[in-house]
Amino acid sequence: MKATRIWRYLSAGALAMTAFGVLQPALAADGKALLEAKCKVCHLPDDNGVQRRIGYQRKTPEGWLMTIARMQIMHGLEISDDDRRTLVKYLADTQGLAPAEAEGLRYAMERRLNTIEEFDTQSKEMCGRCHSPSRFALQRRTAKEWEHLVHFHLGQWPSLEYQAMSRDRDWLELALKEMVPTLAERYGLDDPAWSKWQQERPAPTALVGRWSFSGHMPTRGDLHGVMSVEGGEGDNFRISLDGRYADGKPFKGKGSAILFTGHEWRANVEIDGVAMRQVFSVVNGEMKGRMFETEHDERGLDFVAAKSDQARLLAVQPEFLKAGEEAELTLVGSGLSGKPDFGPGVQLVKVLEQSPERLVVKVRAAADAAPGSREVKLGKLSGPSLAVYKRIDEVKVVPGYAIARIGDNGGATPKVQGRFEAEGWATDAAGKAYRVGILPASWSVEPFNERAAEDEDVKFAGVMQKDGVFLPGDAGPNPARRMSTNNAGNLKVIAEVEDGGQTLKGEGQLIVTVQRWNNPPLP
Amino acid sequence: MNNKNRFALVSTLALLAALQAHADTSGKALVKGHEYMAVTNTPNNLHLIDLKTESVYKTCEMPDRFGPGTLFISPDKTRAYVLNNNYRDIYGVELDTCKQVFHARLAQKAGEDARSMFSFTVSADGKELYAVANPMQRAIDHYVVGEPRMQVYSTDAGLDAKLLRSFPVPRQSYVMQAADDGSLYLAGPDIYKIDPKTGERTVALASRNWQRPGYSAPDVLYFWPHQQPNRDFTLLYTAARFADEKQDPETAEYLYGYMNINLKTGKTEVRDFAPLTELYFTGLRSPKDPNLMYGVLNRLTKYDIAKQQLIKAQELDHSYYCIAFNHAGDKVYLAGTFNDIGIHDAESLEKIGSIKLPGGDMAVSTTQVFIR
Repeated sequence: MKATRIWRYLSAGALAMTAFGVLQPALAADGKALLEAKCKVCHLPDDNGVQRRIGYQRKTPEGWLMTIARMQIMHGLEISDDDRRTLVKYLADTQGLAPAEAEGLRYAMERRLNTIEEFDTQSKEMCGRCHSPSRFALQRRTAKEWEHLVHFHLGQWPSLEYQAMSRDRDWLELALKEMVPTLAERYGLDDPAWSKWQQERPAPTALVGRWSFSGHMPTRGDLHGVMSVEGGEGDNFRISLDGRYADGKPFKGKGSAILFTGHEWRANVEIDGVAMRQVFSVVNGEMKGRMFETEHDERGLDFVAAKSDQARLLAVQPEFLKAGEEAELTLVGSGLSGKPDFGPGVQLVKVLEQSPERLVVKVRAAADAAPGSREVKLGKLSGPSLAVYKRIDEVKVVPGYAIARIGDNGGATPKVQGRFEAEGWATDAAGKAYRVGILPASWSVEPFNERAAEDEDVKFAGVMQKDGVFLPGDAGPNPARRMSTNNAGNLKVIAEVEDGGQTLKGEGQLIVTVQRWNNPPLP
Repeated sequence: MNNKNRFALVSTLALLAALQAHADTSGKALVKGHEYMAVTNTPNNLHLIDLKTESVYKTCEMPDRFGPGTLFISPDKTRAYVLNNNYRDIYGVELDTCKQVFHARLAQKAGEDARSMFSFTVSADGKELYAVANPMQRAIDHYVVGEPRMQVYSTDAGLDAKLLRSFPVPRQSYVMQAADDGSLYLAGPDIYKIDPKTGERTVALASRNWQRPGYSAPDVLYFWPHQQPNRDFTLLYTAARFADEKQDPETAEYLYGYMNINLKTGKTEVRDFAPLTELYFTGLRSPKDPNLMYGVLNRLTKYDIAKQQLIKAQELDHSYYCIAFNHAGDKVYLAGTFNDIGIHDAESLEKIGSIKLPGGDMAVSTTQVFIR
């Protein structure tokens, strides 16, 4: 119970402040003093003068937060929320991960919980069967520290060596003799990337200014705008966002941010009355990551931003154009000037609007424009691509495999929605399939298999809305169901897309399951 | 007296009456020759159910925290030994009086945490109690997992039971039972026969390391050490039987089987009894007909072992983990999960009654049926 409460609180944005100015900037001196005062009782300095355990690990802000929270839950550490923030900040700054070290694993911090993770079989079976392997892949430790981690796991949860994928093998022996050396080699404490980042990391004031952003919110569409960043003292910032969706509706709000480790940007913002978080990495004048609702992290958007003093082309919205048709395209970036080049067969009809952050143009694609994905150029800038297509050949439901969770109904855990989009694919002249983009679709669900049909999962598990959002059922046993089971279900998610007089069908799978009771910042 | 106060007083009296009724049962002695079923549930109960009336005969209150609540009845049927306090302590309770007469804390030294994964039993002569402790030493800033050890106690060691002796046993050990010849059968990676005097150990039944041509290693998850009147110690397994040497899981047959050790004769048996079509947490053979295997989780089923055929299946109102028979073998009792025990006719499998327990979830508790 206690753990559940603390994680609910922590996941609600403990890394960033709710109101700028209420808190003092976390000074390094405070952090060091707190580390002494709060941790040294147990973590004494060793012969090298390094604080035992703590001094031989590096991790993300979320990783440090989870460690300190565990010390509170399991080991009686008493620390105020403010002090915990200061300590997390200090540890993430002095013992964090360089941008390169977190690459490919940011999905965990960004709460992309439908990610199908790619890890070797042994890591998945030994560790990933209980938690995301990103938890250890986002840490750096000495071999001795990885060994401590194994002992901690089995000591804390003795049943783990009896579970499936443990009881068929000598788990402890494999963990100590195979996993520990593997982890120490892959994720050792000392890494040149970290020493390099410590030299290179820019002053926080380099982040102050205007940032042009582009985003895509699944089931809602593209958006773009400008985020203004002020402050910077003690790595704290005030931010305001002024943007709009493709349909013209505003996307506006204000908040505050903290920069950890010189690049880990965490913010709390209120957008049109909804509390949201930002989890970005900011490197070389580019911010990238995900924004999501504080209470519903499944509702969010991919976000990329470029600082005004960096000329950069971020996105073309929409990202596709049908051969033989005329359309309005928006180029989003910073330092935009000149006329865009969309390649042969796509003619620039008119520039409708031009600013350094936004270029709106009318274009026409010739009927015989070569189908395929092409790079868009604007002067020296490039990056985003435009898909020109004649017809859609395939529709994919994204995500192709997703989890939604029952909730509410008087319980402590909110429902987790499923959110789906239909992604069109076409074939180029060489016969190669290419992604066109997100297309409007009609949505429905069907039982995934015979069992789901028999158990009437479609009736009980929830409702698929017109916009591709699936609202799961209420939590708790349902007397109307066989064996009073809860409203779980196994569903086929079906998208139907109309294109050129044909209807194309895409299918995905949605597992509607029970609440995630233990929901720490890193899954 | 206003209505509100009157209501409060009535409630208090009702509560007192309930407490009184509850307290009353603890001193009720069991009746010799009567058949009982013992089971534990949250928050801290040990219930004794009279199987003649199929109602709760008495309830003993257990100390400390609940879990897992696995229990054994002493060979003379006067005591229950219960693993509780989150797998950390074993308690002995005198059934006639509910008096606690034995208590062993598995941890042996300061800073040690030791838990037993359902791994304990009482000797056939009732004199010794055995438990496997999985120790972990808490240092000031780290844990060190230690080697599992068998801890041997005298059952008359009282409330602060000290070890008679101890010896190392393999990791991943779980349920065990004691044979009439004094040896101990311990399930772990394999099923071992252990001399509890010396710690000498042989493999009685290979499990992870079995060599059955054409079979995968079995998967065993079995935490319900039923004390059966015929002295069978039974565990269920699942395994794949491959079509050929290629061992392709796609074309393999998946099977349910049981491993059995007769604690009277020492005879061992490994036998498939059904295709794997659904999961069972527990399964037992009928006391009336050893060719009949009953299994339960989401359905109650009955198999003909020789034919490896499903004879009957009964839908259930909710999941049940733990199966048990009365001595006559004409009734099946389903426990575990909630706080109601389902009574089923062993022939038709139909539900013929239910016993509602005071308290909450029985979780993974084992029901033990015995005649006082």
